[in-house]
Amino acid sequence: MTEILLPKSFRAAEIVSVLTEIRRQGGEGPVTLDFRDVEVFDSTTLAFLGHLTDCLPGAVAAHVPDALTRAETGFARRPDGCWPEKPAVASADSRLGRLLGFLADRFLARVRVLGRFLAMFADEVFHIGRYLKKRQGVYPGETWNQMFIMGYRSYPIVCFLLFLVGVTISITSAEQLRMFGAEVYIADLIGYAMLRELVPLMTGVILAGKVGAAVTAELASMTVLEEVDALRTMGIVPEKFLMVPRLISITLVVPLLVAMADVAGILGGMAVARVVFGMLPAAFLDQMINTVGWVDFAWGLIKTVVFGWAVVVSAGFKGLTVGRSAEEVGRATTESVVLSVTLVIIIDCIFAFFIY
Amino acid sequence: MDIIDARDLTVGYGREEVLRGLSFAVTKGLITAVVGVSGSGKSTLLKTLAGLLPPLGGGFDFAGAPVDYRSEASLRRLYGSIGVLYQDGALLNGLTLYENVALPVRMHYPELPEGVVRDVVYAGLAQVEMADSAEKLPAELSGGMRKRGALARALVLDPEVVFCDEPSSGLDPITSLRLDDLLLRLKERSRMTLVVVTHELRSIERVADRVLLLHDGGLRFSGDYAGLASSDDEFIRTFFLRKDHHDDA
Repeated sequence: MTEILLPKSFRAAEIVSVLTEIRRQGGEGPVTLDFRDVEVFDSTTLAFLGHLTDCLPGAVAAHVPDALTRAETGFARRPDGCWPEKPAVASADSRLGRLLGFLADRFLARVRVLGRFLAMFADEVFHIGRYLKKRQGVYPGETWNQMFIMGYRSYPIVCFLLFLVGVTISITSAEQLRMFGAEVYIADLIGYAMLRELVPLMTGVILAGKVGAAVTAELASMTVLEEVDALRTMGIVPEKFLMVPRLISITLVVPLLVAMADVAGILGGMAVARVVFGMLPAAFLDQMINTVGWVDFAWGLIKTVVFGWAVVVSAGFKGLTVGRSAEEVGRATTESVVLSVTLVIIIDCIFAFFIY
Repeated sequence: MDIIDARDLTVGYGREEVLRGLSFAVTKGLITAVVGVSGSGKSTLLKTLAGLLPPLGGGFDFAGAPVDYRSEASLRRLYGSIGVLYQDGALLNGLTLYENVALPVRMHYPELPEGVVRDVVYAGLAQVEMADSAEKLPAELSGGMRKRGALARALVLDPEVVFCDEPSSGLDPITSLRLDDLLLRLKERSRMTLVVVTHELRSIERVADRVLLLHDGGLRFSGDYAGLASSDDEFIRTFFLRKDHHDDA
């Protein structure tokens, strides 16, 4: 039998060192912990005393001071004398059942979310129709305000990035075209790729990151701060009041955005063609106009408007269905960007089947 | 006359019932305080009565007509008859106080001349002594001013019932007292019905004509403050009158 005289102060740190010491000397039989000198203790000491035999099988407490006994008796005891036990580890069969149940729940939750998303999309189409007919239910001037936020503030980044994309595509294809003596076709390639594919896709992705994130963060904050509830109890339909100006704005802003991005992307390609092949800008444009036309521009425009709608509806959906805590604002914003980019790429893929 | 008449009302979120089987009435022209400890379901009940959260069971009549959550027309009727003062005011941050108060007027009556809107808004702001701050943004107002501004917005269309969710929370005792006075003035001058969710004992004592006490998923007490104060119910004595059995000794 080992007897250990505990120190005057016996709290968490001392408990750990005593336990470590006992375990280090393990195998020397039962232990008696002598509490006679213990004067300074805390809740860890009380919990340790209650779980002495769990911590040290066969251990015995001796000379426990009255103060410590009294404190331990009244220490955080539930009426039945114990805290809930940890749930038992599930068997293999019930684990499989739980996994299947979990997957089914997740699947059904996704289906419900998809249903709500489609319902919101249909609602927005209805609200826009009603607004265009009656011009009511939207704050005066809000559409202009949103056009400024979505359009004016997005032009610089969209044009700059699309210029760089034009440069990159031009450089990567220049060498291949030179191998076949087809340098002159760089204008066709840039024009076609930019107008039909790269400008709409990149603009959609940039809108998702810039406009979508901003709209979600704003609407989610309004939801958390009960501003959306306030609108509803004032008899104002938030899905109309907040979303219609944004959807009209994106519809009006995107054509100009696409036109400027097309110009920026083509300028990027033209600059590389001038430097690498010595191709004059006029010749570049002549060659490009022979291949691409208004139809290509129009398809690019239509695609980007659809992408813009997907981004704003996703952002509104995530913003207006957010929970009630501040941390959910960040989560909703991230989810909105992921959803928007996913939708943009899926819609682009669907367009590819119809256009080409 | 009762303006709200709830029968066997069960409220909660999803499948989780927060309050079960409540039957109570809110009398017109009086202040009814909904009280209870944190998490007792006060705000959940208010959301249901304000048309924001469908009941899980039972229902309630508003001004003699049943409120049907599946009917847009029924909800529109309810929204047109109530005003809500939210816990943090819930003023729209992008609009000035004037624009916030004008919002319901402009949205419901877009044909009204701007001069009329202006008079209505300033009358509402004057009622809560906020006319001088009309052009300020919510971020430029103190907590008490935001609440008074939000109250002006809730009152601007002369609703039949105003719901106030924790009007005193986060306010110092003097501002809280001023807000209580304001609620009393509204009741006396405009004969307005107010439903106030609170757990401020002093506020309940000052303003409440009737008290609904929620506890343990149900309605523990319904009556006036004198009845609450003289209650023998152990829970009421312990938690609300802050008395325990030692006080009786």
